[in-house]
Amino acid sequence: MSRTYTYFTALVGTICVAFILAMVFLPLTRTVRSDVLQGFLIGFGLAFVTAQIYGRLKAVRANGWITMPGLGDPDNGMLMRAACAQLFPGPVNTSAEAVYWWTNSDGAGATLDGRHDYVLHFPAGGMPPHDAFWSLTMGDARNRFVPNPLRKYSVSDRSGLVPNADGSVEVYIQSTPPADGEPNWLPAPSGKFILWLRVYQPGPAILAGSYVVPPVARAEGSQR
Amino acid sequence: MRLEHLLIFGAVMVVTWFAAIYFWPRLLLSVYRRAILVKGFGDGPVPVNTLYTQQEALFADPLHVPSGTSKLASAGVNRDTLLSLGWLDLSKGPLVLHVPEMAGRYYSLQFTNPSNNTNFAYVGKRTTGTGAGDFLITGPRWTGDVPEGMRHIPSPNRAVLLIGRVLVYGDQDLSRAHGLATQMRLAPVH
Repeated sequence: MSRTYTYFTALVGTICVAFILAMVFLPLTRTVRSDVLQGFLIGFGLAFVTAQIYGRLKAVRANGWITMPGLGDPDNGMLMRAACAQLFPGPVNTSAEAVYWWTNSDGAGATLDGRHDYVLHFPAGGMPPHDAFWSLTMGDARNRFVPNPLRKYSVSDRSGLVPNADGSVEVYIQSTPPADGEPNWLPAPSGKFILWLRVYQPGPAILAGSYVVPPVARAEGSQR
Repeated sequence: MRLEHLLIFGAVMVVTWFAAIYFWPRLLLSVYRRAILVKGFGDGPVPVNTLYTQQEALFADPLHVPSGTSKLASAGVNRDTLLSLGWLDLSKGPLVLHVPEMAGRYYSLQFTNPSNNTNFAYVGKRTTGTGAGDFLITGPRWTGDVPEGMRHIPSPNRAVLLIGRVLVYGDQDLSRAHGLATQMRLAPVH
């Protein structure tokens, strides 16, 4: 659900609608051959736009994080299945098995960029509830792993995060090691990046939609 | 004349619109079918009705995907679970899936219907527990008795995409997790 896709969807939609309007109102010379060919192309374009818009309507956004309830569910209908196939291109888990959140923006809506430092603050008792595991994984702007000297690509329930005295947990998302040491560091690239939060066997609060992922907050004065 | 052209255009457009939405998931999964059965993930094509687990080395160093192989197994960023993939064809009869004792470790085997990209069954910690077990996977219109000691997974489609995920606790645990993942096996019924 990147901005590129949003612009592309808008562009395809505009072309399709403009073409249909021109067809109806402008005196054009037509052949059956062009009717069929153009009908096919415009129909295909509209299908893309329909699924993209539907997916965006069904996506749940909070604090900059985006998730899609009902992925892979046999009862979720033709439009939803098309939207899932476009927005999460792969055979993804059903919600009961795993829930995914995705973001490319901080809590204030600005694009995540390694030129800044970020903190993801989980309040005490506010870690994602689960019966299996959770993880927060770093990807570059094209959703690829980010090379780093620690060969650390994610933080998770298994990565040895050190909680604060009050039980809260802070994850430092930045391109250079934080002053507090490395256990809570998620190495970022120098440019734009995205984050994936995965929770397997999510708890009832997640499935009911009441759990809200905290925002990725930009640290003060962290411009490089 | 003009109306005629508009009607032809409109009819083709609506049919294409509907068909493209309906078949989009199927198109997507045909890419997976090709990736599994034709390209493979570093050890050549994966034969039908077998489960292939990604190499340890690829999990340990996800930055370098072997060239000439499908990148689908390493598409996106995921460093939690070892991925296993298999394409099933149940038209020649049922298959038996064996899973080893996972001793509480998270794992799952996701059964996806490739005609619409929905999941119709799961084997794993959440649904069947982490003990060893055998599961009979049968295609549509199969009749017969499920052998003693096996659980039954009926598939609505004779083609099935099977995706396995075995949790890796950390770098030291990788070869152990990989050993368990490769013990998840498919075999025909004898």
